[in-house]
Amino acid sequence: MPRDNRVRILVGTRKGTYVVEGDAKRKNWKVGPVAHEGDEVYHVVADPRHPGDLYAAVNNMFWGPMVQRSRNWGKNWKEIATPLSPAKKDRKPEFNESEPSATVKRPLTRLWHIEPGLERQPETLYLGADPHLLFRSTDLGSSWEPIEGINNHPARKNWSPGFGGACLHTILLDPRTPRRLYIGLSAVGTFRSEDEGKSWKPTNKGVEAPFLPDKNPETGQCVHHVAADAADPDTFYRQDHGGMYVSHDRMEKWTRIGKPLGDDFGFCVASPSSAPGTAYFVRLDGRGRVTRDGHFQVQEWNDKTRKWRKLLSPRQFPGHFGVQREGISTDNLDPAGIYVGTTTGQLFVSPNAGKSWAQVPFQFPSIHSVSVANPSTG
Amino acid sequence: MVEVHLDSWLREFGPRRNEKVEAISVEHLIDVLEGRHPRLRFKLRDETGALRQYVRVFVDGTDVSGTTGVGTSLEGVRTVDILHSIAGG
Repeated sequence: MPRDNRVRILVGTRKGTYVVEGDAKRKNWKVGPVAHEGDEVYHVVADPRHPGDLYAAVNNMFWGPMVQRSRNWGKNWKEIATPLSPAKKDRKPEFNESEPSATVKRPLTRLWHIEPGLERQPETLYLGADPHLLFRSTDLGSSWEPIEGINNHPARKNWSPGFGGACLHTILLDPRTPRRLYIGLSAVGTFRSEDEGKSWKPTNKGVEAPFLPDKNPETGQCVHHVAADAADPDTFYRQDHGGMYVSHDRMEKWTRIGKPLGDDFGFCVASPSSAPGTAYFVRLDGRGRVTRDGHFQVQEWNDKTRKWRKLLSPRQFPGHFGVQREGISTDNLDPAGIYVGTTTGQLFVSPNAGKSWAQVPFQFPSIHSVSVANPSTG
Repeated sequence: MVEVHLDSWLREFGPRRNEKVEAISVEHLIDVLEGRHPRLRFKLRDETGALRQYVRVFVDGTDVSGTTGVGTSLEGVRTVDILHSIAGG
């Protein structure tokens, strides 16, 4: 297949999917036609193992959730298999405290995240869904198997949904071994598996839960998103309801890094492959859930110097902007491109690791997710 | 034989706008439709068998979605309309 130098920004919105194409300079962008028009699209992702293949987590308010795939960079989409919750009609509603069973009792309501497997597992996909469900496909989405280690976890009866629901929104793979997986669940926290999902260990030590009577529980933290460091697969950056954190030991313990910023609330985090030891966060007001100080801003964490840098000046994009958990992404070019989508439909791009910024000249619907299909994938 | 009028948005999953179905209940009717059009599965009902929140079923003009639901008898019934509700924004 000939090399494809285009960078594609994959935008999941409250009203459909957009593929935005640009070249390696990342200055001029062409917004393609909307797909899944009218549907809530929580995540769109490219499969780097199969150039041209895109997956979308589509949530239709009338007909329910659907996994959709495109095999031509988003020109056409087709529904593929969607996993099912093990809920049955004779079960009581989920989160009934008098019900001792850990079994899932609610139908699958929303799809949150699709993660292509490692290069050595070219047919594997992972999918995270509400209510706190994880699935794996080994045939590129023709069928799904529930990962019972988490879907029937013994502590499940104590899990509650966050404001965004019972979402399993983060799935991270260790590039060294397919046996090690990490997941993030709203209002529950992060977990690690060392056996391809058979068993899971909570990994929230050091993360505060300011909204619970016990401020340092084993689980119950509301993780918003986690990004892995590109060079060190043992290092992770975490945006939690309770602040910004880093872990250098496979999430065994977390260190809060956001305190110098004051309020370190937010939803999203990304780490670029061209600058290991770097993470980008969008700091929000913890109460209003929009950017602070009346302008769009992105904070850069340098894990070597352990210092923060603010990437935008107050004059550049004044206003109050919300950014959701999948709302930031980076590409694999050097310098890194940074892409941020807002809940009011702006798509901001920096082609040079935050030195300059521009807005893609298109008003999107409220943006749920931004991800990048890199040139090297084509 | 019941005449079923289906929401035009459902056509992307296979059914025609009007279908004729022999069925004793709404649940049975949806089972038959899903058998004819497998992509319709889980679009009208979720995994528990319940109608999805914004699906409306009218039996001879009466909305049964929030009352007798999928258990509604179709004895003597001539038409069933399956529509999406007025919702969104």
